[in-house]
Amino acid sequence: MRWWVLTLLVSLAVAAAGQELERSPFHGDETSIGVGKATFRLRCSACHGIHAEGGKGPPLNRGDFAAGNRDVDIYRVIARGVPGTEMPAYGSRSTEENIWRIVAFLRTFEPVGEERVDGDAERGEAIFWGAGGCGGCHKVGRRGGSYGPDLTRIGRSRSVDHLREALLDPNEDLPAGYFMVKVVTRDGRTISGIGSGIDDFSAQLRDASGKLHSFLREDVESIEREFTSAMPTGYGESLSDQQQRDLLAYMQGLRGEESR
Amino acid sequence: MNRQVWLACILLACAAVALGQVDAEALANSQQDDESWLMYGRNYSAWRYSPLDEIDTGNVGRIAPAWIFQTGVSGKFQTTPLVRDGVMYVTGPSNHAWALDLMTGRELWHYSEPVPDDLPLCCGQPNRGFAILGNRLFKVNMQATLVALDAATGDVVWEVESADYRKGYSNTVAPLVVNGMVVVGIAGAEFGTRDFIDAYDAETGERRWRFRTVPGPGEPGNETWGGDSWKRGGASTWITGSYDPELNLIYWGTGNPGPDLDGAPRPGDNLYSDSMLALDADTGELRWYFQFTPHDVHDWDAVADPVLIDVEIDGQPRKALVHANRNGHFYALDRASGEFLFARAYTEVNWADGMTSAGRPILIPGRTPTDEGTLTCPGMGGGHNWHATSYSPQTGLYYFNSGDGCQIYHGATQDFVEGEYYLGSAMENVTGDPREGSILAVDPGTGDQRWRFALVSPPSSGMLSTGGGLLFAGTQEGYFVALDATDGKPLWRLQTGGPVRAPAITYRFEGRQYVTTAAGSAVIAFALPR
Repeated sequence: MRWWVLTLLVSLAVAAAGQELERSPFHGDETSIGVGKATFRLRCSACHGIHAEGGKGPPLNRGDFAAGNRDVDIYRVIARGVPGTEMPAYGSRSTEENIWRIVAFLRTFEPVGEERVDGDAERGEAIFWGAGGCGGCHKVGRRGGSYGPDLTRIGRSRSVDHLREALLDPNEDLPAGYFMVKVVTRDGRTISGIGSGIDDFSAQLRDASGKLHSFLREDVESIEREFTSAMPTGYGESLSDQQQRDLLAYMQGLRGEESR
Repeated sequence: MNRQVWLACILLACAAVALGQVDAEALANSQQDDESWLMYGRNYSAWRYSPLDEIDTGNVGRIAPAWIFQTGVSGKFQTTPLVRDGVMYVTGPSNHAWALDLMTGRELWHYSEPVPDDLPLCCGQPNRGFAILGNRLFKVNMQATLVALDAATGDVVWEVESADYRKGYSNTVAPLVVNGMVVVGIAGAEFGTRDFIDAYDAETGERRWRFRTVPGPGEPGNETWGGDSWKRGGASTWITGSYDPELNLIYWGTGNPGPDLDGAPRPGDNLYSDSMLALDADTGELRWYFQFTPHDVHDWDAVADPVLIDVEIDGQPRKALVHANRNGHFYALDRASGEFLFARAYTEVNWADGMTSAGRPILIPGRTPTDEGTLTCPGMGGGHNWHATSYSPQTGLYYFNSGDGCQIYHGATQDFVEGEYYLGSAMENVTGDPREGSILAVDPGTGDQRWRFALVSPPSSGMLSTGGGLLFAGTQEGYFVALDATDGKPLWRLQTGGPVRAPAITYRFEGRQYVTTAAGSAVIAFALPR
């Protein structure tokens, strides 16, 4: 079918049905899938990966979606976003047809289901709040520290692979806003912490105690931004393989529900 | 001509002066008019230099806001305001515009036009400014229209459609008035449009000429497009050009070929994408062209200002056109003939190993985007992108900004669907690469860098240089900054509270020098305390 005939038919269908469509009208149409793929790469890949393999956002190439596995569920997430996560609403930035094209593209992946971690979430929870020391810096619900990212909903927004990478090599892919800042004062003191802000003339950082510091570049010896994580490395050695899997299983289950 | 007609002409001329109308002579002499800012680049050579020197390196530390105008409109403010006879004319995003009282910043009138919901856009809804002639202002609207407004009231005098926005055309450019015509470009290459430069009669809105930046069958250059790929060839013209009255040539840069990152559907050099064009101002006929990036697959539009400078190069005085291209090289061309004079890399470049004697890049293999991705420097936005540049005849230096760093380019084949993205894939940031930036001062005769002011983020605003030895610029983090134009040393700054995406302007009003820029959603005028 010529693309414009298809587009016309789809436009009429979408106009008639609004968002009542349950299934992408572009299913299996290679041209539309190509446009959907291009749009995905432009708008979505920074978080979900260039091949939809996941990254800062969950993987979308497994045929399993947190908000539901019908086409219309995926459509709604793209159009309305996910409140409380980094996922914005694209409904006002894209046509309905183009969102359905993205859905058609995401449906080209063979469903393999959500990756489940072979671990015990209860034991992982104990590690998180105990031997692992994770809760000292990370909050889950209202419990925990605030030096590192809030993990209350981390199981919804990160793939297992990404969580594993963050655990074993936290410097590989820093969460937005969690770069380090190192300041050397005129009297030779070094103050490091997570950067709240940095620009050409100043820097603001929180040290490990949570204290806020603000510096003007002209008042100090140097201000350096470092793309390293404040999270300790070495969990690959200090935790056994089973403990790592337990911890990951716990984090995978953190989906914003009442924290335990 | 009899005496009555002469008398009528003189009276009309007097009336025009009395009403503050801008005529062709005023535009031609804009560089000498300290009390006005009459066109996008301040003068036809696009210098963005004002000889005003009341604010200088010694006292700039004392400047402060004289007034702030809050527009109440969100979006990217990338406008160059115009100033004439006590009024500032400002365009904003999403088809808004205002006239402001120069003394107080109070609104005199507000123009707005809805943006169609179904308008395909790649990059937001900015607008880069008005042009002016007589008592009329000219601006483009997002839906690829050109509108003439009554400068006194903001009322629409005429409006014409340049192209059908439903096909992916849109417009953001500041028009350029030349010889009674309003010259505009067009955007849309991310949607597989076939683009152009238009000239419209300032009086009637009738189109006087159109130059297609992708030639059709039978036209020279069409042979550089395989098959019928020319139909979707892009080559947008979304940044204002310059004009040489002696040569009567308009210079205008063109953008990427479509699809952006996939060259397979369009074998050949893809003229006149990524090129500098010299057009006869009266007819729109092509006099010469120079293509910076033949068969581009990295989205390196040639949209940087074409700045006209008479400068010595290799011991010879040259009428040059200088241009800091998005592909990472600073170029000098002979603006009469288009002859390549030299090119120098100004940021990290890993795709070309210099130039041939004709200025064609010597390609380094392995930089074509692939499905898995190819690391290439500079990244998609450049190098230097569209942000306004400045040439100071006082320092002899040319100022522009640069986005420094690399990106991973992913390519993929896609079919064309009218009005939808036609990109051929996308870019990915490099883990651990912070994508920083810089403000550069370059000797335009050699390309030698004289100084570099480092930015923690890719640049966002344009440049203004002044006779006070200053360079004004802004940052993404909201700082409006004055640097010493000689050595780049920061002399003054203000945190404005919003990203500075616009270039600054300056003018004298009632004996006092003002410097004005848009920041966030506001327009701020600075001056020394009374």
